Amino acid sequence: MEIEEKDAGKVKILALSGRLDAYSSNEVEKSITGLIDEGCVRIVVNLEEVEYISSSGLRVMLAALKRLRKLKGELSLACLRPYVKEVFDIAGFTQLFAIYDREAEAVDRCAAAGE
Amino acid sequence: MAYTILELLLTLVEKICVILVFAYLVSRTTYFQEILDKKFTLKNQAFMILIFGAFSIFGTYSGIQMFDAIAHVRDLGPMIAGLIGGPVIGLGVGLIGGVHRYFLGGFTCLSCSLATVLAGVFGGLIYKARKGEFIGVPGAVAFAALMESFHMGLALLLARPFEEALILIETVSVPMIFANAAGMFFFAFVLSNLIRERETAEERDQYQAELERKRQELKIAHEIQQSFLPDAIPLLKGFELAALNLPAREVGGDFYDFIPIAEDKIGVTIADVSGKGVPAALFMALSRTVVRTNARGNPSVAEVIEAANSSISADSKSGMFVTLFYAVLNLKARTLTYVNAGHNPPALFRALSSDIIMLKARGIALGAMDEIVLEERMLQLDRGDTVVFYTDGVTEAVNEREEQFGEERLIALINECHGLTAGALVERIKSAVLAFCGGAPQFDDITVMILKAGEAEDA
Repeated sequence: MEIEEKDAGKVKILALSGRLDAYSSNEVEKSITGLIDEGCVRIVVNLEEVEYISSSGLRVMLAALKRLRKLKGELSLACLRPYVKEVFDIAGFTQLFAIYDREAEAVDRCAAAGE
Repeated sequence: MAYTILELLLTLVEKICVILVFAYLVSRTTYFQEILDKKFTLKNQAFMILIFGAFSIFGTYSGIQMFDAIAHVRDLGPMIAGLIGGPVIGLGVGLIGGVHRYFLGGFTCLSCSLATVLAGVFGGLIYKARKGEFIGVPGAVAFAALMESFHMGLALLLARPFEEALILIETVSVPMIFANAAGMFFFAFVLSNLIRERETAEERDQYQAELERKRQELKIAHEIQQSFLPDAIPLLKGFELAALNLPAREVGGDFYDFIPIAEDKIGVTIADVSGKGVPAALFMALSRTVVRTNARGNPSVAEVIEAANSSISADSKSGMFVTLFYAVLNLKARTLTYVNAGHNPPALFRALSSDIIMLKARGIALGAMDEIVLEERMLQLDRGDTVVFYTDGVTEAVNEREEQFGEERLIALINECHGLTAGALVERIKSAVLAFCGGAPQFDDITVMILKAGEAEDA
């Protein structure tokens, strides 16, 4: 799992690539927790290069979402592949997460969320 | 001349052998190991001082005749003892070697004995400066060479008459520096091997302890999961039920359950907890208990699971959730009323039309939100209709080429084997998935449950 961190104003972008399974989820969880601990409450996760996501991956995203919303922040997802989108869909998580087709759109909406 | 050089080399090899044997034997003693572990006691310090003191005296007597001068390795004992055991041990050893040398007399007796004492002290100071860590082979050899040069300087400074001292130093300095540096090289070599061995042994022990802990954890998770699965499958009037759970090495928290609702109603559920290991197993135990408590004797479907969600959500830390399919089977009316809380939709094979319908309904996994609303659906089951409930361990099972078993293969299998009894169909799906995986390891729990409508029995 490769994790790339980018700045976009008050939003941080995490671009993931690889398989988001039980093993790589811990790594991703650490990065997100690190960002939140540094005071960042608006995060966009770009999943364009993620070909597989397991329930452990969903758990990490859900944990981040819950924590950020409690802090009046937001977690948005961008560029989901059809397979990954379907996994979110089956679990009913498309109702819960703000999901965008393009990263730029996700960043704009994430920056404006709650304001 | 050739003869004397050969003789000299032979003596040198002999001395080196003595040093090597000494280094080997001493470094394997318990006392020496304790010193390396920095567990200093009176006993092991006394041992070090006495044994290296004796080695220092041996160094005095075993001088080698080299180019008309005697090269001795008296300073070697104190230097090594200081490098390994610190200033106190270094000083003790230096005093033994030094005092012994002093009473042998001669015009260099003061400078020689003082140099031996200082060799131990300097070794100890290097130990302090390196905070007790051994300096390594090159450092130790350099120290020995410098120390002997210092020894020579001290002789020039203290020994009188100066002219005699100068002549002695001119002949003896090169052999002395060489002999001590060589002796130190062999001792330090044996020692650093020993230190490395001990480090690898320690790493190996830690790794094994970690592995053992992990194995225990896997076992505990497995036992929790198995103890929360039903012991037996209920016998139903006019229906067949069968279920199977193949836990992965690191369990994924799958479960299924049968809950008595009323005389002619039974609740069936299949679920998959997010994550793996002990956290997943514990969350499975919690979810199964909450659903069971809410559902027991309560014929409503959506309401029961929505209430269960509130309890589970309150206990869900770190984003844990469970996808769950829950249905109440009415044995008399032969209906199945269900909700789908984010679970892989079960496949219903219709015997009459040979269609396969995926049992979807609007919902969300339990634990994700505090308040949820689930869509409740109902369908009629006719003779031969078969519902295949499963978890993603089935469809996401991978083979050695990293291809997934997938929904299509499962549906094709159901189309092909719907004539089997529920029990036989469960076994058929299991063997198909395992055959597909081949030698690839099973990453997730595989759970399958089959409900098959038989002949309607008129009550």
